[in-house]
Amino acid sequence: METPLRTISDRRETTELRDHWSTAKEAQEPMVALLERKHPLLGSRVAIPRIVTVIRPPSFSLRTIVYGTRTLVGYRDLLYTLTLFRLTVRYKQSILGWIWAVLQPMAMMMIYTFVFSRVAKVRSEGVPYPLFVFSGLLPWIFFSGAVSNASHGLVGHANLLTKLHFPREIIPLSYVFAAIVDFAIACLILSGLMMYYRSPLSWKILYALPVITILIAFTSAISLFLSSIQVRFRDVAAALPVILQIGVFVTPVAYSLDSIPSRFQSLYLLNPVASLIENFRRVVIHGLTPDVTMLLNSGAITLCCLVLGYAYFKATEATMSDVV
Amino acid sequence: MFDIRLDHVSKRYYIQNGTRGRSMGWPRFPFRSKKEKWALRDVSFEVEEGESLGIIGNNGAGKSTLLKLLSRITAPTSGEITIRGHLSALIEVGSGFHPELTGRENIFLNGSMLGMTRSEIDRKVESIVEFAGVSEYIDVPVKRYSTGMYVRLGFSIAAHLDPDILLLDEVLAVGDIVFQVKCLDLIAQLREQGRTIVLISHDLGAIQRLCDRAILLHHGQVVMAGTPMSVVDHYQQMAIGEEETYHLNETIQKSAACLCISFSSTETDEAPRTGYPMFARFGFNAQVPLENVVFNVLIYWPSGYLCAQLTTAISDPQLRIAAGSGEIEFYCPVLEIQPGWYRVDISIESNGVYLDRHQRCAVLHVSPGKLVFGDFYMDTGWRMIPKMLDQEVSVD
Repeated sequence: METPLRTISDRRETTELRDHWSTAKEAQEPMVALLERKHPLLGSRVAIPRIVTVIRPPSFSLRTIVYGTRTLVGYRDLLYTLTLFRLTVRYKQSILGWIWAVLQPMAMMMIYTFVFSRVAKVRSEGVPYPLFVFSGLLPWIFFSGAVSNASHGLVGHANLLTKLHFPREIIPLSYVFAAIVDFAIACLILSGLMMYYRSPLSWKILYALPVITILIAFTSAISLFLSSIQVRFRDVAAALPVILQIGVFVTPVAYSLDSIPSRFQSLYLLNPVASLIENFRRVVIHGLTPDVTMLLNSGAITLCCLVLGYAYFKATEATMSDVV
Repeated sequence: MFDIRLDHVSKRYYIQNGTRGRSMGWPRFPFRSKKEKWALRDVSFEVEEGESLGIIGNNGAGKSTLLKLLSRITAPTSGEITIRGHLSALIEVGSGFHPELTGRENIFLNGSMLGMTRSEIDRKVESIVEFAGVSEYIDVPVKRYSTGMYVRLGFSIAAHLDPDILLLDEVLAVGDIVFQVKCLDLIAQLREQGRTIVLISHDLGAIQRLCDRAILLHHGQVVMAGTPMSVVDHYQQMAIGEEETYHLNETIQKSAACLCISFSSTETDEAPRTGYPMFARFGFNAQVPLENVVFNVLIYWPSGYLCAQLTTAISDPQLRIAAGSGEIEFYCPVLEIQPGWYRVDISIESNGVYLDRHQRCAVLHVSPGKLVFGDFYMDTGWRMIPKMLDQEVSVD
């Protein structure tokens, strides 16, 4: 009685087996096809779901910021490469090379010390004047250097704009990032000066980090805005040196904030660079906590500038290659 | 499923008139003195996945603008473009190079500008260098490169992007023969893998060889879309814009004159077709009896290069003709040139001296006949060869 049962089960097994075999064979076909799609040059190709891009006429919208930031993150390697490129190309074919990064701020410091301390006898809040002026010069040199380089960056790279597609903000931002490296070098000189003058060092120096962060953000905002205007109107190139020259005197670089009459101070501090320099000096040289009102104030203005500047940049970005 | 879709896309440019007649003056609001020009007007088409599309048109027809829109170098004034997948454009390759940097540094700079990550470039750098054939010079600043090396390196970087969609703009015109073969092989491979290709070129032969479909742009509008052969034919007809037969005026001063030339496939005056017989009738007039006469009909490609020659010189170099007007008929048993529009020169020589010569005086329109691929139709006969081995086996 067992024999027929076994045959049935055997047959079922064989049919199952055959089914397995045939499905396996069918499944193999596309696998082979996929393997054969191998590009001899580029290696095997993995099927990735395709990204759909929709290109529309440009418009000014805050939504572009979100999309733009996401794209920018995808292109972070380009930002890194371009920043590195700025740093390596700048001192190529120069004898002193990187020493210039030290010499430039030092020379500025000496001139300011001579003019404002020896000739004009400016008060320096009980700190040696070279130290005082250098702590103000550092953020200012960073800001003015980055902005003036970045503003002509897009025009200087017209050949790239008309031939390649990549997020355009990377060009002005690469100048800002290169300036951060210079700023870091100058900070080393500052710490040397502080040791020389036996300036006390406190943990409050860590407050410099938020100050520097806001400074970088504000510099980026202005750089983005000016560089995209410069593409259309070359007036920026003519006006900017004058404005930056005035800027040195409306920021507390060479003098202290106290010397400004108190009724003008709120107007004076509308300039985020002024309050940031003042705060930088407070935390680094004086070892005090930063002035919170000034910090929040500059932070809020910076945020507004950054959002508007980036949105404006993104709105004009698409047609830059037509007008540059 | 489409890979690229253009939906009523237009692009407007402003042309600055400049300060005409006055070199200096009061500053004017810069938008005033601008004239607008529509480089593209209401262009809609789709490119299917795995298709290769050719775009042809005269200079200023909007080809480059279209390419710039697709590669997102600029944005449309109105309309919408949808792109599915990763697109890479080979427009003026090597343009992102910095002369002071070495080849290797430029691979990283250009590669990351084209959207590759550093680790991706690290993996591909050896292959890029090898494909470009610049391994000896890879650590030399690119300002010391020859033009060919420069472009080859640029093409090689772009080719390693592994795009779903590839835009090509006259890139095949650069590089030596070895490199061109490499590029054509690469394009053929990409096509076999089902990548989408958009090729913009003045090389109509390349369009016919590499594309599945073609689009003709004229003054910023799509005039025609269809098979490459039909679109190229239409474009050539548009470009030539002349009559098919051209009767020349009699020139009295000369001792002999060409009068007319006409082409037909049979005596019933049909247009010549590839693979069928062709007759060419050449009317002439001789003032005096002439010796050692040669009649020539030269047929030129649309590109301007000589394609074929019909001549009496080979069969009878000592041809004599009597005074008066006459007609000579050339007969080609099989017309071997491909469909298209050709320009024609005719001339009469005697003793090696041109008596009368008319350049580009007529047009030869070849209609599709026997359809084959390639530059020429070759008249072919064939037969089955009996398999000897099989017969022996079957006998056993």
